[in-house]
Amino acid sequence: MLSLFPAAPAPAADLYSLHAHLENKLHYQSPSGWFRTKLGGLLDLEGYTIDQRPPGLLFSRHDFLFNPRLSLFLDTQFGSHFYSLVQVRFDRGFDPGVMPDGDIRFDEYLLRWTPFDDARLNVQVGKFATVFGNWVPRHDSWQNPLITAPLAYENVTTISDGAAPASPAAFLARRSTPDAKGAWLPVLWGPVYASGGSVFGSVEKFDYAFDFKNASLSSHPFVWDATDLGWENPVVSGRVGHRPNAAWNVGASFSYGAYLLPSAAATLPAGKGRGDYRQITVGQDVSFAWHHWQVWAEAIASRFEVPNVGDADTLTYFIEARYKIAPNLFAAARWNQQFFDKVPDGAGGRQRWDQDLWRMDLALGYRFNRHVQVKVQYSYSHQHGPLQQGEQLLATQVTLKF
Amino acid sequence: MGKFSLRLVWLALLGGVSAGLANDAVIEGTVRLNKPPVAAPPSAQRYQAGSVQPAPPPPSPMAVVYLEGTFPAPATNPPTVRLGQMKLQFETALLPVQKGTLVEFPNTDDVYHNVFSYSKTKRFDLGRYLKDEKPAAQRFDQPGVVNLYCEIHEHMRGVILVLDTPYFTKTDTNGVFRLENLPAGKFTLKAWLNEKTPPYSLPVELAPGAKLRVDLPGQ
Repeated sequence: MLSLFPAAPAPAADLYSLHAHLENKLHYQSPSGWFRTKLGGLLDLEGYTIDQRPPGLLFSRHDFLFNPRLSLFLDTQFGSHFYSLVQVRFDRGFDPGVMPDGDIRFDEYLLRWTPFDDARLNVQVGKFATVFGNWVPRHDSWQNPLITAPLAYENVTTISDGAAPASPAAFLARRSTPDAKGAWLPVLWGPVYASGGSVFGSVEKFDYAFDFKNASLSSHPFVWDATDLGWENPVVSGRVGHRPNAAWNVGASFSYGAYLLPSAAATLPAGKGRGDYRQITVGQDVSFAWHHWQVWAEAIASRFEVPNVGDADTLTYFIEARYKIAPNLFAAARWNQQFFDKVPDGAGGRQRWDQDLWRMDLALGYRFNRHVQVKVQYSYSHQHGPLQQGEQLLATQVTLKF
Repeated sequence: MGKFSLRLVWLALLGGVSAGLANDAVIEGTVRLNKPPVAAPPSAQRYQAGSVQPAPPPPSPMAVVYLEGTFPAPATNPPTVRLGQMKLQFETALLPVQKGTLVEFPNTDDVYHNVFSYSKTKRFDLGRYLKDEKPAAQRFDQPGVVNLYCEIHEHMRGVILVLDTPYFTKTDTNGVFRLENLPAGKFTLKAWLNEKTPPYSLPVELAPGAKLRVDLPGQ
């Protein structure tokens, strides 16, 4: 037998190896494996070229907005029945540009108990994303095939939560002014990381999820913490889903609860309270995947009970598709539309309470490896009215995942 | 048949016998494996839409032992190999194949998998296939390491080690291996554990019918 020697180690200087190395270093488990924790993150560098005024939930007075964001996720498993998540973000506000000088937040923190060895029942408390619809599971920058959210999750309507409109005329007048994004609401505010509890699970081909939160689907991010808004007027949401096979997933969602903030109480008609004005939302979602295609669609109808006005109804839907052109390259497209119903105008007639609109989103994405991705998105939107907001948007996003 | 022809037949038979003798060397032994992970890292199943299934325990580590040298090019492609996805894992976490091998990736789970690799050795993305469908087989014609992942199940990890030699085997989970039907000659015996660990390497000289015992790494 001749001498034994190890071969020279291969240099691990390339970026991919560095990330893989980092991935292993950010994981700890106790000797028995009972305690396991992993720190992961997403570093996003985004640039938005805005056709003023900015669309959706972008906040900027300039034609270009640079939005860096670091999201850190601490996933921890305690034995096989308890799981916790903490998500901390460093950015320029929950929505790009809303805090231009920078912000740090705990966006999510939750403790989950899974009493059985399968997924039939999970109980969760904390601050976490809504169970409504099918967009939440792909809302982070790595999973989202596009950069922005669907219209339902970011188009600001003329509904306000901080004060009641003085009259139908005052409410309808909002249609002709640019969105007051600090005061008005979309149907869903992104993933809606409100606080509360949730029960969810999967039984064979069926999924169910219900949550009991402190804030409505449309609520501002600044009220999502339990310290910001209590449960005096809770919001209940739910989704039931059916997966006939691996390709299809269909679901129906609902949400019911008050949407006005305590500051609105003083502006309500005599004898009325916040709990008398609710956001009632129902939705249907479907997703399909096969080979290199993934398709999602959602239709959402929402009613806002508006003080001094009446019921303001809106219907919005989107169809989104992602196709992998090559192992590293994908294309995505999304068609969005939102319609607004009529409300009494106070003069004996009825008028649409906001401008109908449609938007087309197109994106190309390239994954250099499992840790670096770049996306480019172009959006064109049109509102049926004299006022246009963000008719064209060009966005770029570079994501580092670890 | 003349005397000359009879002599040719005799020489061919003799050559055949000696060729057979030259391919009967054996190397067996053990490879010291890395410690198995106690449990998988917590899976990032943060959002409850869709099926939430607990991740299975990670597979035990194994090693690939192979003989490196100069060998005649094979006349035909190696046989097709199967690497399925089963119970939310790859059927085997480490698959050695000879250069040129065609590998099939059947999905035997009721849920989707999406096997892909961004490795320089082989870059592919199978897409999502139902249980009874047959995804396109991939031919691995460059030697090297191919890291496999599932786009849907983050905990799933696999490696295909593409080798430029027909003489290889995989250890069991205790590190025990046996390489058979080896030719006589001077070669390098290697044991590959993973990308982070430099392979153990040992020059060997095999005589026809030799039987070597090797423990890697040696003392």
